[in-house]
Amino acid sequence: MTPGYVLIRTLIVALLAFPFGQAFAEWPIPDDLSTQAATLSEEQLNFITSGDILKFIPERQLEHELATRDADSLRNLVNDLMSLAAQMGYDPGRDMGAAPLNLAAKNFHRSTIPTPAPLRDFEREPGPFSVHRYVFPQSGVPTFGGAKVAIWPEDLTAGSVDVAIIGVPNNMGSGRRDSGAGPDAMRALNTIAIPDVQSLVNPLEALSVVDYGNFSIDYLSIERTVSHVAGMVAETAGTGAIPMLVGGDTSMLYPGVKGIAENRGPGTFGLLHFSAHPDVERFSDHTISDRQAIFRLLDQGIVKGSDTIQVGLRGPGVDLETLRWLREQDVRYHTMAEFQRHGSERVFKRILREADKGPDAFFVSIDVSVLAPADMVAAGRITPNGLSIREVTRAIRHVCAAKDIVGFEITDLAPMLDLSRLSVIHANAALNACLVGIAVRKKGLDPDYIHPVALDHGQR
Amino acid sequence: MKALLLSAILFSPLSLANEEPPDTPGHVVGDQPYPFDTVDPRVEEKPPIELPESVAPRLERLTPEEIEFLKSGDARSFAGSAEDTVEELESRTPEEVKAWVNAMQDVVSRKRYKEGRDAPHIPFNTESPQYNAWRLQRPRSLDPQREAGPVELGRYDGRGGPPTFGGLPLALSQQDLVAGEVDVAILGAPLNMGSGWRDSGERATVDLRLMGWPMGRQDQYVLVEASDVLEIVDYGDVAVDNNSTERSMRHVRDIVREIAETGAVPMIVGGDHSLEYPNVAALADVYGKENVSVIHFDSHYDAWWGGSHLISHGYPVYRLILEGHVRAADYIQVGLRSQGPDPSGFEWMREQGMRYHTMAEIEERGWPAVLDRVVAEASEEGRKLHISFDIDVLDPAFMPATGTPVPGGLTMREAITIVRRLCAESNVVGFDLVELHPALDPTYKTSLNSAHIVKACLTGLAMNKEGLTAKHYLSPLSSEHAVDDYFGDQQQYLDATQAEKDAAEEKADEEETGE
Repeated sequence: MTPGYVLIRTLIVALLAFPFGQAFAEWPIPDDLSTQAATLSEEQLNFITSGDILKFIPERQLEHELATRDADSLRNLVNDLMSLAAQMGYDPGRDMGAAPLNLAAKNFHRSTIPTPAPLRDFEREPGPFSVHRYVFPQSGVPTFGGAKVAIWPEDLTAGSVDVAIIGVPNNMGSGRRDSGAGPDAMRALNTIAIPDVQSLVNPLEALSVVDYGNFSIDYLSIERTVSHVAGMVAETAGTGAIPMLVGGDTSMLYPGVKGIAENRGPGTFGLLHFSAHPDVERFSDHTISDRQAIFRLLDQGIVKGSDTIQVGLRGPGVDLETLRWLREQDVRYHTMAEFQRHGSERVFKRILREADKGPDAFFVSIDVSVLAPADMVAAGRITPNGLSIREVTRAIRHVCAAKDIVGFEITDLAPMLDLSRLSVIHANAALNACLVGIAVRKKGLDPDYIHPVALDHGQR
Repeated sequence: MKALLLSAILFSPLSLANEEPPDTPGHVVGDQPYPFDTVDPRVEEKPPIELPESVAPRLERLTPEEIEFLKSGDARSFAGSAEDTVEELESRTPEEVKAWVNAMQDVVSRKRYKEGRDAPHIPFNTESPQYNAWRLQRPRSLDPQREAGPVELGRYDGRGGPPTFGGLPLALSQQDLVAGEVDVAILGAPLNMGSGWRDSGERATVDLRLMGWPMGRQDQYVLVEASDVLEIVDYGDVAVDNNSTERSMRHVRDIVREIAETGAVPMIVGGDHSLEYPNVAALADVYGKENVSVIHFDSHYDAWWGGSHLISHGYPVYRLILEGHVRAADYIQVGLRSQGPDPSGFEWMREQGMRYHTMAEIEERGWPAVLDRVVAEASEEGRKLHISFDIDVLDPAFMPATGTPVPGGLTMREAITIVRRLCAESNVVGFDLVELHPALDPTYKTSLNSAHIVKACLTGLAMNKEGLTAKHYLSPLSSEHAVDDYFGDQQQYLDATQAEKDAAEEKADEEETGE
């Protein structure tokens, strides 16, 4: 690719991108429809030409209505739509502006208070402990990867824990809802922390990994869950352990990343986000949801747009306005259109180079919707035509080995949608890929190191 | 009559019955939000305990306030009974006792709401330019003009269109209900905020349409075809905000009221059991407070209270009583068997005069006796009745796809009978069927069984209109082949048919002779 070609391409992209400005900006009435439009009042005409009307009626239908309606019927329609526009915003005299809570409740904070030491039932020395009877256990109480259990920050400190895997079982996704069952489903299928065929590293031997239980959630409110989860993530990371969060829906990415930033400071690490969905809804009537998670992080400067990489975009939230907004924020986005044009090998090379050039530290986030439904049928916000588990795990493994990982999160697994449990196996594989990457880094190996014995049988 | 009703609806303001709404609580944002009462009269304080003199040395490091706290009900929620408290004290040094008491005090203070520290509400983004987009209704002018009334979506005598409940015609506004003189409007309500599993959103209302073909068809037990007797429509789905139950309640109540105001019976299907609250409140708006009774089929009593949220699928019964829509004495509960409530919950129900019928009662007395007792209670004095049917009242063998299944429930044969009888023999003005989570049942059994429960009520309502309101009416034709008199109650029929036969033969003989 010559520099001249790149320059010309950049110019073309710039020319294509800017003249349009905001969508729905203006809608000049076509000449052949101006006679009908002439019967409307100035206010009604403004409603059309300003483009406001296009929020309620697609352009193609608007042309049809203008061409075919008589004057009365047209006025009636435009008036009705103007009345809708007037009702769209919040009116304190009409609308509930916030959901009241029961201030008299004895347990206003429902189970989000960790038991203080003097009230704990029994005493033990701090440190991770096994839930198994046997030296080489084959079954028993399920934990992430069969890892030991830790409950308190002092357990993490005493055990010099490298990685704490934590469930965040909230269940408020905008797609199919079963992400609350995600953590236990991933515990129940013990396919995390298995030796890696590429490096022949066993992450559970190379790292001190624990199952750090679940963080408590308010099952009726994301808003009330956010601060507890962010605080607990900060406390966990404060011990030096890397929090690996298992959602939960993708709204929990916001407190996950926010909690890391509480210790390290905002804008000090990058965000690599695998998802079909950009999750940058800007105008929602709620303050937080899965569709707003990344918008909140960018808007509040918790991560910089230029340090944010999005991979696999293709869902219903991907429209022209959204992509333009992502460009304005300097976000590195990689849609499935880019994969279609350039092929997975080249696009991942670009992504990994962006990560390598980015900040030293990264937070890696997987919304399971990034995977093609063939590999992940139990995605809450399933979207066809995604990436394969091989492509995704390879990229995760590389980044987790190449960068200083400050946090990891996997979200929106809805186990009930997959009787075969293949989806859970793949969710575990994605988590395991990062765990292996962290282990490879800890051992000082090259990020893409392949053990020669694993690569070749060596027979003549 | 039709024109009169139509003009009454079009030209009178749609008011919330004759009641002044309750005062808006101070911490609620917006002048006219939902009238949730935030007071909780059932917060019970445990009485203080007496500590024996023998533990006095253990308390020497405590301040008088700390000793007071140790005797209070708050401390008892950690320490247990007086004996347990003494045991705890005796196992600790005075220093440890102080740390122990301070830890309890700390937890109690952090559990409670504290002004300045805690948000008193869940904020919404009132700056949003699309704040109300979720519930804005489509103006008629956006579609080609049509006359008011139910619309058939199919090409072939109404069949062959997109799936509706029972393949029935679609109505979308109050004018459609009035113009079509509609008797029953089935409304999907995709509220998906119940706990357990969550799949009671649009999958549930769509599944009830896909599997809804039994609704309105002939019921062989009584040989009545409801859709022949009643005007029944699919009233579409009501909009909900699936990130806030609180915010959804008002709109659901508005749409249910819209149905009930026309005199039609609203049948709300799909979502979680929070819906019982707006459904019954809407009926109270139309028929007056304390004028509607409720029969609540459920394995859970749903009168929980005292949580930080004011409404969820565990609270509707309590909230309806608290706000005065229904008298507690007008509540009947059937099928309870979940782990709660504890004895104090049952005592509360007795004090309130609630009529509860647990699975324990059914085990003790037998189903036929309880069935008759329940139907008699529900039919007292011609009271107006709402049936709130949580599908988890049935045994999970029949309804595996529900949010909080509890084994040991009713069978489909029992449920169909009691629902058909209630809708036929009582004065039913509303019905809901809730807590369907289709993803949990790949066989579709749960959705199909749910549709049959709806059908049972439609049949009953049709029987009521036809006057078939005798106790446990069954068709004499379909319930007996009458070739013989095996059960000893067919002699009259056999004699009559024999007499007819003889008469016909005699006539035939005469005609033959005449020739």
